[in-house]
Amino acid sequence: MKKMMWLLTCTLTFVLVFSGSALIKLKFPTFSNPLHVDWNESVGTIYPDLVYGEEELNNYDLYVPADQTKDSYGLVVYLHAGGFTGGDKSDDAEMLKYFTSKGYVAAGVNYSLRTDEIKANLYRMSQEIKQSIPVIQEKAAELGYHLDQMAISGGSAGGTLALLYAYRDADTSPIPVKMVFEGVGPPSFEPSLWLGIDDSDNPYESNDAAEAGAGFASIMTGEDITVDMMKNGEYKKYVDEISPYTHITRNSVPTLAAYGTYDKVVPFGLTRNFLKALEDNHVPHDFIEFKRSGHGLQNDRKEAKLYATKINEYLDQYMPN
Amino acid sequence: MLTKKRLIVLTIIVVVAFVLGRLAVSVMLNMLLGGRLF
Repeated sequence: MKKMMWLLTCTLTFVLVFSGSALIKLKFPTFSNPLHVDWNESVGTIYPDLVYGEEELNNYDLYVPADQTKDSYGLVVYLHAGGFTGGDKSDDAEMLKYFTSKGYVAAGVNYSLRTDEIKANLYRMSQEIKQSIPVIQEKAAELGYHLDQMAISGGSAGGTLALLYAYRDADTSPIPVKMVFEGVGPPSFEPSLWLGIDDSDNPYESNDAAEAGAGFASIMTGEDITVDMMKNGEYKKYVDEISPYTHITRNSVPTLAAYGTYDKVVPFGLTRNFLKALEDNHVPHDFIEFKRSGHGLQNDRKEAKLYATKINEYLDQYMPN
Repeated sequence: MLTKKRLIVLTIIVVVAFVLGRLAVSVMLNMLLGGRLF
């Protein structure tokens, strides 16, 4: 009986500690978040769920610093992750609070997501982000914060939308865009790269490949891409429109990007054209490769710290307060 | 009362379970998102 009790104690101890340890690891990943601030009224104020458009998810949270004495402020926009189908602006509250503590006005912006009912595509999402910026500018001014420069940023899906705004839409932005930073955002939607058939000169030669490519391109662009369009190359103008790297020019803003070598969601190979475009156009940039990580950038403590340090360096250099 | 020997055994179980719990999450995340442990 005593032996049974002892074995039970050992088993229960193992199960409890194992589960607790797993939960702690899930809640507090390998590295602590260096972009963190203890938030209170002396740091700033949050205006949640403000509206910028007519769609259900056309809303944003605005974070303004407590110090209201300056003539002008920089805006940091962060776009949430979620594979274009999920996520919410509140996911990045900690980071947005941190930027506010540095004296910036910060905004977490939602955008329409693709669901079974709503066939939102990347082009529409990027247009919604474009639509949100003048509204944010106006609301900030109403609260007494004149915005005269901005950084746009995001993670994963939000990273792509941030890159698109920085490279494609910055010229028409009501607030001058000074820099972009993002993690694991797909920089290209070339179907052959996503489908792993980019090793031949004509990846859409077979009907199967062309069909798969057309399906992928149609979902992402919102256009009705056909097999013929895949075969004759007509699809490219639609795909390029939503592929941030194709919009990089010599005038593109400084870029900080982080990617995981073993990413299973966004193939690391997608970054080749991105990096080349940045280099060819002499765009100031830092590309941080997380050499043991995947889409969560979860295994490289040193690189995570470097990414956070670089974000601060970029803000200080390109968007000084 | 726990004997010294049993206390040592329990301590080892706690340490091993703690390490394995974290490791299990890492392995799971790597399977889902990509990545390697070492």
